[in-house]
Amino acid sequence: MTNILDDYALMSPLRHRNNWLKLAIVLFGLLAGVSSRSPIPPFFIAFCMSFATVTFGKAPLSLYVKLLLAPLSFAAVGVFIIAFFSGSGPEILSFELLGYPLDVRADGFELALLVLARSVSGMCCLYFLALTTPMIELFAVLKASRLPESFIELSMLIYRYIFVFLDMALSIRYAQTVRLGYSSFRRSIRSLGMLGSTLFVRSWEQGDKLFLAMNSRCYDGKMALFEVHRPVGAPELLLTSAYFLLTLALLYLTKNASIV
Amino acid sequence: MIILETRGLKYAYPDGTVAVQDLNIEIMKGKKIAFVGQNGSGKSTLFLLLNGTLKPSQGEVLFHGVPLEYDSKSLREIRRSIGIVFQNSDDQIFAPTVFQDVAFGPSNLGYSKERVDTCVQLALEQVGLSRIKDKPPHHLSGGQKKRVAIAGIMAMEPEVIILDEPLSNLDPVGADEIMDLINEFNHFGSTIIISTHDVDLAYRWSDYVFLLSNSKIIGQGTPAEVFKDPELLKKAGLRQPTTLEIYHEIERRGLAYGRNSPKTIPELVNTLKPLDLMWVEVPPGVREGDNLNLGVMYGEYATQSPYEAINATVLHIHSDGRAIVELKRKGIKAGGVLLYDTDSYSLPEIKQIIKEGEIVFVGAMGKKSKILAEQDGVRLDVTSGVIDKSILMALCGKRCLILTAGGMVDHALKRIKEYVEKSGIEFTVGVVNREEGCPWLEESGNSPETLKI
Repeated sequence: MTNILDDYALMSPLRHRNNWLKLAIVLFGLLAGVSSRSPIPPFFIAFCMSFATVTFGKAPLSLYVKLLLAPLSFAAVGVFIIAFFSGSGPEILSFELLGYPLDVRADGFELALLVLARSVSGMCCLYFLALTTPMIELFAVLKASRLPESFIELSMLIYRYIFVFLDMALSIRYAQTVRLGYSSFRRSIRSLGMLGSTLFVRSWEQGDKLFLAMNSRCYDGKMALFEVHRPVGAPELLLTSAYFLLTLALLYLTKNASIV
Repeated sequence: MIILETRGLKYAYPDGTVAVQDLNIEIMKGKKIAFVGQNGSGKSTLFLLLNGTLKPSQGEVLFHGVPLEYDSKSLREIRRSIGIVFQNSDDQIFAPTVFQDVAFGPSNLGYSKERVDTCVQLALEQVGLSRIKDKPPHHLSGGQKKRVAIAGIMAMEPEVIILDEPLSNLDPVGADEIMDLINEFNHFGSTIIISTHDVDLAYRWSDYVFLLSNSKIIGQGTPAEVFKDPELLKKAGLRQPTTLEIYHEIERRGLAYGRNSPKTIPELVNTLKPLDLMWVEVPPGVREGDNLNLGVMYGEYATQSPYEAINATVLHIHSDGRAIVELKRKGIKAGGVLLYDTDSYSLPEIKQIIKEGEIVFVGAMGKKSKILAEQDGVRLDVTSGVIDKSILMALCGKRCLILTAGGMVDHALKRIKEYVEKSGIEFTVGVVNREEGCPWLEESGNSPETLKI
């Protein structure tokens, strides 16, 4: 049953904590990470967020590492390029590759490290949100942020029917596969086309049925949204403020520090 | 009292296909109604006509004797009073969480937030889903989705609940739970209408059956009337219910009493004619065809319950004063079925009842009671078809306890008492933790004062 991040978020114990608190933590982490001038605070944020996601949020560690590796590989390429091709300070490493001189300079290295730290901290913050806050909790947040009602209703319906159509698509695909619909490239293209068109027609029909279903329960153009009240507990508040204070202190202390 | 009625109802789809024609039906309040027909016989269309979703091409639908109006205000009233549970739960459940889906109806009725909350809690509790109210629908099983769909309708407290193929795609236990639930609503006064092509279900469950074929009603009546007519069933493209078929075969061979229509296995068992012959010494003067009272027997002579009062009909008298008699047994002290209302539940009490009441067979009806029993490790012998199986056990002289709650208690009590009345086989029935107390515990002198029930 756990195929997508939302499923992990649904099972996470942190799901039942206050959404606004989680959002505040994430926003704070993102802003603090980006505004830091030293790579230390972002790394600290990344560590804290990862720890919270895995320990409190009960996200499986292997999954978490796998998730981090994907964007990390992109970041690594960027960092590599920055380290070798920018900066003008003292050389800290230099060698020749196929007769072409390559060198890493101190400020280039520092910049590369900072970029790496910022992107990792950003990712960890967002993963914290993604792995502890399922979409269904966010609808209330969307509503409170004064987005248009129809937009929220639509997104609620879309969220629900994504899974209905996903199931449908999977079963159609299965039905096609068992009858060798994907046995050659040409057939795959054809089958995929059929899958798409069938899904389109089905979603059209589903729309009709949805209207019927809503109408037979006295739909009057408004879908009420019930927000679950979740007060912020004292331990959460304490932990969060400790984390905020520590990060801020680190930010201040590493303002002008250089690690190289 | 007629709650829902149609007169000359006809509906044709825009492409000209006639889905329903010339339909005159009357549905009584508080009854269990089944519409039986093949796929495509017009059941689903009829249901959409009944709650005003479709407007008939001809004729009219009357609710409480008043013809339906099709303006939005009257339609709201109708839809509030007549709830439909669709065949495919995915068509019906559209909100991102269970709670929000169930709350959709009540909030459309303009209830306050608190009232919506209580309505939803109540509905979810009744269908036994309170614990998963924050789950998204795609994490639920088929049976759970069906129960969410039913809760969504229940939360609006309709007078009539229409269920389109309520048991399709459900496993036997899930199906049983849905039927228990439906019976409970019926007990509280809701009129229940279902469509099905499962003749067994329609036969054993409903009070009144409509047979549909090719968009017309071709037969109606009590299930016993409708299903005994093989010609009619053939015309409707259906077969006879299994219990009835078995009964007819047994009856043809002279092994069962005639002119019955057993709906459940206990009833079927009850029609069996025991070929119970015995040689007995008879006093002189007794003639063939006389009835003899052989008194009470027990032990190996009592085959059906621990003690039996036996009467015999003399079939043949031999010259040496012995006669062949056919025995008619009547159980005196058969087993019994006790009901336990889990609305006031205490584990020690149940344990005590099981121990002191010498109960050998425990069943649970309804999700809530099953969950309770599971939590507290009460061993359940049966969780589906509970009433029937308990009756069968009681007939064999065993004592059964059924854990159940709410309206299902009265429903079960009624059904078992009906059986006792119909069959003439006495066994104890009662609700333990209610005021009338537990009959056999007091009878058998198991120190009732220590029981404090």
